[in-house]
Amino acid sequence: MIPMHEVPGNAVPGPAAIETTELTKRYGKVTALSNCTVSVPEGRICALIGPNGAGKTTLLRLLAGLSRPTAGQVTVNGTTPRQDPAFLADIGYLAQEIPLYRRLSAEDHVRAGAHLNPRWDAESVRERLTALKIPLDRAVGKLSGGQRAQVALALILAKRPRLLLLDEPVAALDPLARRNFLGLLADGVAAGGLTVVLSSHLVADLERVCDHLIMLASSRVQLCGDIEDLLAEHQLLIGPSKDTTAIERSQRVVQVTRTPRQTTLLVRLNGPVADPAFQASDVSLEELVLAYMGQQSMGQDALPALTHLSTVGEEK
Amino acid sequence: MTWLVWRQHRVQVYLGAALLAAFAILIVITGMQVGNQYHAAQAACAAGHGCRQLGGLFLGSHAVGFLIISTLGAPALVGLFVGAPMVAAEAEAGTTQFAWMQSVTRKRWLTVKIGWMLLAAAIWGGVISALVTWWEGPNNAVQLDAFDPGRFDIMGVVPVAYSLFAVALGIAAGALLRRVLPAIAVTLAGFIAVRASVAVWLRPHYLSAVTVFYKVTAGFTPPGSYWQIAQGVLGPNGQQLAQPNSTNYVDGVSASYLPASCTQVSRGAFTPPPSCTGALSHFQAFLTYQPADRYWTFQGIESGIFLVLAAALIAVTAVTLLRRDA
Repeated sequence: MIPMHEVPGNAVPGPAAIETTELTKRYGKVTALSNCTVSVPEGRICALIGPNGAGKTTLLRLLAGLSRPTAGQVTVNGTTPRQDPAFLADIGYLAQEIPLYRRLSAEDHVRAGAHLNPRWDAESVRERLTALKIPLDRAVGKLSGGQRAQVALALILAKRPRLLLLDEPVAALDPLARRNFLGLLADGVAAGGLTVVLSSHLVADLERVCDHLIMLASSRVQLCGDIEDLLAEHQLLIGPSKDTTAIERSQRVVQVTRTPRQTTLLVRLNGPVADPAFQASDVSLEELVLAYMGQQSMGQDALPALTHLSTVGEEK
Repeated sequence: MTWLVWRQHRVQVYLGAALLAAFAILIVITGMQVGNQYHAAQAACAAGHGCRQLGGLFLGSHAVGFLIISTLGAPALVGLFVGAPMVAAEAEAGTTQFAWMQSVTRKRWLTVKIGWMLLAAAIWGGVISALVTWWEGPNNAVQLDAFDPGRFDIMGVVPVAYSLFAVALGIAAGALLRRVLPAIAVTLAGFIAVRASVAVWLRPHYLSAVTVFYKVTAGFTPPGSYWQIAQGVLGPNGQQLAQPNSTNYVDGVSASYLPASCTQVSRGAFTPPPSCTGALSHFQAFLTYQPADRYWTFQGIESGIFLVLAAALIAVTAVTLLRRDA
């Protein structure tokens, strides 16, 4: 079974597995990440969400120490990412491209890992791949994309890291395999000593296992925090189609959707909503994410599919 | 780390070892024939009358001789097929992101990989050079040309230095370009350019050459396998004469500078008349050359240059990979 939000939302957060301050990464003139300040307490499964090109991979690579910040600080497991066996042993990073040696077999990778890591659970990989009916002795390049992803995920878990950074790890997996893998992650975190950051576009999947959220858009952090807290801070207000300036003055409006009959506001609460004409209801993670993404996309050319029914309010 | 390097490159190692073994078998078998030919010729010469040297004798078959000369390119191979892909192939396939996220620092990854590559290159260059040097022993004794450009380059210790340079160049090109084919192209072009430049412009000047002036009638040949750099004839006023451009010359002096009595000599086998020898005595010849006993000094200097270049390229690689984002 997949545990649902096991970490109580309002518990005092433990020591941070990840802490960044004003983290900025520029490649030439292109700013990939701008003033990113986030923190993820230990023992969380953190969803990293954002439109394509929002800076998710950049953030993960900075956390893994594969690239260096242009400005700002990163702290991972209490230290700055650095080229040090002890630091590297605690990090499991899986890039989107699923880097494996195509001509080597899964078994070769398992043995390589045993030579390259102080902690290495070779048996777990063999068991897992055997259970998934993935041949251990075939060249990895001859496996299907999903099987390759399974091999890479099994290898990254065999390293027994304290922090797992996974860049769209489930994109290549079928729905059942995806659910199984996310369950495995949740079990790993429940067993203790593991924090996971996981980027994906599949909000439904993330909603099932994640208890923390970092949302990036246009290289900036839009949201960061416990999912329960974030959901509690936001509300959908549905009311008559009338002037909403009063609400906009007291609440931070993320998104406004107007139809001839009614107006729907997604707001970040600053206090109780006084207007009795509006009915408040809870937001789902998907609504929240889409609202923030929609707000972003209006900045550039709005995608018609996202906005054909909605007018998006200005952020105050 | 060594396990991974071995697992990644064992096919290359097998292939390289097979090539070396085939080459060694061919060279040893034909080399023994060359040795027998040489000893037979020496014995025949000793038995004959007035045979002072075996000059002009070619030992061995032309096919093997061609293979021997083609080992000029052997160091480049290791740069192209071992050096260039080392970083570039991994960067292209993204596998650096696998290797660098194990509990091994990039520095260690690089050190171990480069160490084994350099060792492989040294063995490759060393084995080929040792075989070629041994095979060419009798020929060198006969032709006295071991110091000549093109032959100096395939014997002794320089092939080892060239191989180390080639592999370092390949690694650096791969680290900078991160693509295999461009890295191979740059390695090939760079290797040829540097080798040719050093051989043509630097090598003649490692030690200042010796110039000897002598009477054209006396003639002069330095001992052993000297390297001739320049040669010419000076006229009665000390001016340098153009090289004779016809067959019509005596002792290297064009017949146009000499009395008619010499011209007749040049066409026959008679002793030159006094009027001709008298005229010839006003001409002086010079030979600029590197003496044979500098051979190993030159091998050492040339090897040193390529080792320094290899070290610099490895430093470039290290700076590129350790300083830059992965």
